Amino acid sequence: METKRTFRIFTIFQYKEEQDYLREMHLSGWKFVKVSGPCIYYFEKCVPEDVIYQLDYNKDGIAHKEEYVKVFSDCGWEYLQDYAGYSYFRKSASETEGAEEIFCDDDSRQQMMMRVCKGRLVPVVLTLPIMWIPYFILFIYCLRTGAEWARCFLILSTGLICLYALLLIMLACQYRKLKKREL
Amino acid sequence: MNQHIKKVYVPMTETAFYILLCLKQPNHGYGIVQAVERMTGGEIRLAPGTMYGSLAKMEKDDLIRFIREEDKRKIYQITDLGTEVLQMELKRIERLYRNAQEGL
Repeated sequence: METKRTFRIFTIFQYKEEQDYLREMHLSGWKFVKVSGPCIYYFEKCVPEDVIYQLDYNKDGIAHKEEYVKVFSDCGWEYLQDYAGYSYFRKSASETEGAEEIFCDDDSRQQMMMRVCKGRLVPVVLTLPIMWIPYFILFIYCLRTGAEWARCFLILSTGLICLYALLLIMLACQYRKLKKREL
Repeated sequence: MNQHIKKVYVPMTETAFYILLCLKQPNHGYGIVQAVERMTGGEIRLAPGTMYGSLAKMEKDDLIRFIREEDKRKIYQITDLGTEVLQMELKRIERLYRNAQEGL
């Protein structure tokens, strides 16, 4: 069977984009098989079909996998896999009435966003102050000794921290976009 | 009843209301989905993500309790606290309805 691999990065607040991507792929004849490793998506050739993909983020669900998956399969959703805390589900659009989703009210959509924030964003934000500590030690060492290696290292870490800050700004923008769309 | 519960559940979502209402008798997630569909003539179809999240949250808040498991389905029933919250919400809806009737 013909298969295909793609590399796509979806950040923590881009699960809608990811769902749309998987749906479009299926619609163009590429059925999602799995995602693994560093954002590698595996597909296999199939008859084009409109299939709705949905992502949930629920640690409690992953901890009680059997009961969790059962609620979804009872409602006609096929469970695919977990990846980075997200659980993947799909259902053929022909079985659904309109654009069916795994959430039916704004309250639960918002709660899902909050679970993503708690599980993924908080650790990312907390890492930033921790990065500053070795940075300051290095900075003071560099000022005092003026050692060449310390200076190089300092420039490198400055770059890294800037990149990290940029990433956070990007995430903040995506969060706002998602919030606007959801609520 | 503590203020947190009151703040979170009064007023509550339609989903939460139907879940509590259905759990006067022991039932599982999918059973609730079917019961609500029957009750509302197919108008309200609860989705599994919403259902799972609500049940987990309500169990944590002591509004419902886990009774037993049947064929990988968790069966829950409403608690005294859950009944109290449901009554409170019902009073609110009654008042809403009464005022609407008088206003029309």
